[in-house]
Amino acid sequence: MPGTPYPKEQMHRIAYTKLSEQQIADKLSKVSGPKSASPLSDVFAGKSLRIVTDKGPSLAYTFSRGNRLSVAENGGGAVDAGYGALTLSNVAFFSHMIPGTQHGYAVVIDQGTNLVTVFELWFSGYDDKREVQREIYFGYVDQAGQQAPTARHAPTNRVEGKGFYWKQDAGAETLEFYPSAAYSNFVELSRFGGELSFCGPSDYIKINEDFYIYTRTECEFSGIFTAYVMDLNRIEQVGVRLGFDANDALEYYVFRGKGEWLGQHAQFEKFGDETGSPVPAAAAGQTPAKGARRVYRPFKTMAKMTPAQVDAVCAKHTSAFAPRAISPGANAPVASMAGNLGPSTNWLAGKSFTLRYDHAPAMEYRFDDAENLQWRKEGRDWTKARYQAFESSPGVILFGHLLEGEPNHDGHSIVADFDQGLVTCFNGYLNTPYFANEAGVKIHFGVIEMEGLIPPKYNRHQFTDEMLGRAVSQNYAPGLTSMHLYSTPHSLSWIIFTNADTGGLEWSGPAAYVKIRDGLYFMYWLEEACNGTLGTILVNLHTMRDVGIGYNCGENGLNMNALGAHERLAGQFDIKRFYQVKSSGGVV
Amino acid sequence: MNTDNTSTRRSFLKGGALIAAPLAAVAAPSLVKADDELKARLAKLENEAAIRELHQTWLRRINTGAADAAAPLFSFPESGTFDQAVRSIAADHAGQPDMIEIAADGKSAAGQFHCAVELETAIAQDCTLAQMARQQGSGFIRRTERRVLNVEYEKASGAWAIAKMEFAPV
Repeated sequence: MPGTPYPKEQMHRIAYTKLSEQQIADKLSKVSGPKSASPLSDVFAGKSLRIVTDKGPSLAYTFSRGNRLSVAENGGGAVDAGYGALTLSNVAFFSHMIPGTQHGYAVVIDQGTNLVTVFELWFSGYDDKREVQREIYFGYVDQAGQQAPTARHAPTNRVEGKGFYWKQDAGAETLEFYPSAAYSNFVELSRFGGELSFCGPSDYIKINEDFYIYTRTECEFSGIFTAYVMDLNRIEQVGVRLGFDANDALEYYVFRGKGEWLGQHAQFEKFGDETGSPVPAAAAGQTPAKGARRVYRPFKTMAKMTPAQVDAVCAKHTSAFAPRAISPGANAPVASMAGNLGPSTNWLAGKSFTLRYDHAPAMEYRFDDAENLQWRKEGRDWTKARYQAFESSPGVILFGHLLEGEPNHDGHSIVADFDQGLVTCFNGYLNTPYFANEAGVKIHFGVIEMEGLIPPKYNRHQFTDEMLGRAVSQNYAPGLTSMHLYSTPHSLSWIIFTNADTGGLEWSGPAAYVKIRDGLYFMYWLEEACNGTLGTILVNLHTMRDVGIGYNCGENGLNMNALGAHERLAGQFDIKRFYQVKSSGGVV
Repeated sequence: MNTDNTSTRRSFLKGGALIAAPLAAVAAPSLVKADDELKARLAKLENEAAIRELHQTWLRRINTGAADAAAPLFSFPESGTFDQAVRSIAADHAGQPDMIEIAADGKSAAGQFHCAVELETAIAQDCTLAQMARQQGSGFIRRTERRVLNVEYEKASGAWAIAKMEFAPV
């Protein structure tokens, strides 16, 4: 029987075991060193090295045959361990654990310069003990009789904007995008079928103009740590993967991989700004603890409500397009995503029509004025609702409203194309399976029935891959700029820019893209295992503006708000070929 | 060798003193007045210098993010809380010169300083993007505005303190 590449649960839905420190210790005790699908390198066999790091450990290594080494940390007693080494041109990479402990190292040595980057890795350093922690030290290989070099490897934003397809020696295939200098976005093509992309905090370190080091920790998920050196010209990598998978099995292996260049999107820092680590590890004035970094943990912080709680909170507070308060002094709207919304339209006022969906009940509308309408499902009673409408492109109206009285507190975000007689509705709803306040979405295609307008019989708005791979920045208001990366046909990620306009924190969610016209796309994203929001936007690539409607239920109640942004096209990755329908085996 | 005509500095001073003595005796009241004026001028200059120093100290504390440490510079420290949106204040060299006026009794003063004020306003935490921005240490709107800083000072126990302070638009 043919199989599919898809997991039973996507990464953000897996209930990863909260492994105890003892369970982790037991699992680590059974491992002597990293595995490898490729032949390991004996580049160090028979050699001794003393690595000196700035503000970090000194590590005295003696390498034996058979992938064994002894290491003395900070002049202490030597400990024997198994290790795995791989080389990429002049760069040697090796990793080992310290037996009897939960910590180990991944070490990158540029044999041309003797400069070193050391990653100290450990478990049980965070609430979720399975999440691998890392601290980075820069240094050099001590050469007897020679002065210590002053140069160092260094954090960089030079990798920002790049994207690669990687295939490791053991078969794992991924798409990896680096739209931030602090986070990355990855698609597990072979492990998870490539439907969704996910994000993790990342480090980017420059060895030289051609070789860089990348790391990723799958925080909020398995906690697995990946680090690799990549040659940007040859598109080759050597690295390590350390952590526990969804079945709590230890993954500890070094790997070699080859890839394909997918493209480069724009960077927005000032020219000449190549600094890395754009997100400070600790707040201003505070000293970061060892391994500290800013990690976006939406699942940990989101409200998680039951259906009864959702009903109660919706009864207490439901709001659609509440008037925007003005922030004193700033003269900016408090609704932070509505700063560049632009004016709404009264085009619908006084009109009435029916939106006849192909696979959902028809919706009849009477628009009393520019902000009030009445709706009913055919044959039912009329219900009043507040709405707002925006004419993104001549004849194309985005409007939305809540459906009071519906058991799942539905909200509709609708694009009605009066030139074509077509309509697409993103129907948000609550009481979803994982958390009742987390929005779900149904997509309805259909036609507009209106006096004087003859709709098509067969033509409909359609899903599109024209946005796939694109990166588009959105400036919602002064101080709030993000970028969407449309990284799979069914998900997108969003990147938050720092004050220096470097990509910072990043997260992702399921998404879909519908083509309304050339250059006009209606899309949604779901903040699943995040804040539960359904975001919908109508992107106009001609005016480079988007208008949208957000639908969210949380402890403050149910809210529908308008949002709008000025956009910039940042580029497009060439990834459509990874999503062509195949006769078997899913993507790739 | 004749040395009688040799002029020395000492002899010059001696002669001068002899010549000046009768003049000093004649002009004593005006000299007293001049002395009072000098003293008053000196006191004014000292007060202005003390107020400038107080102003500079206050500026340093605001500009280094130590607004709390600026409170003791006020007559009533509890009134020394400052607009938390202000991040830095710099002299506006395109504006009017600083002005300090000491009251006649020397117990109060007024200062007016044209400034470029950098203000920082946090964006509302009403959406995921704003929350993420704040978490990474951004999520603020910074802008610089030209303002006039009007300050009232008072002297108590021989020391100047800030009595009242307000920004006004230029």
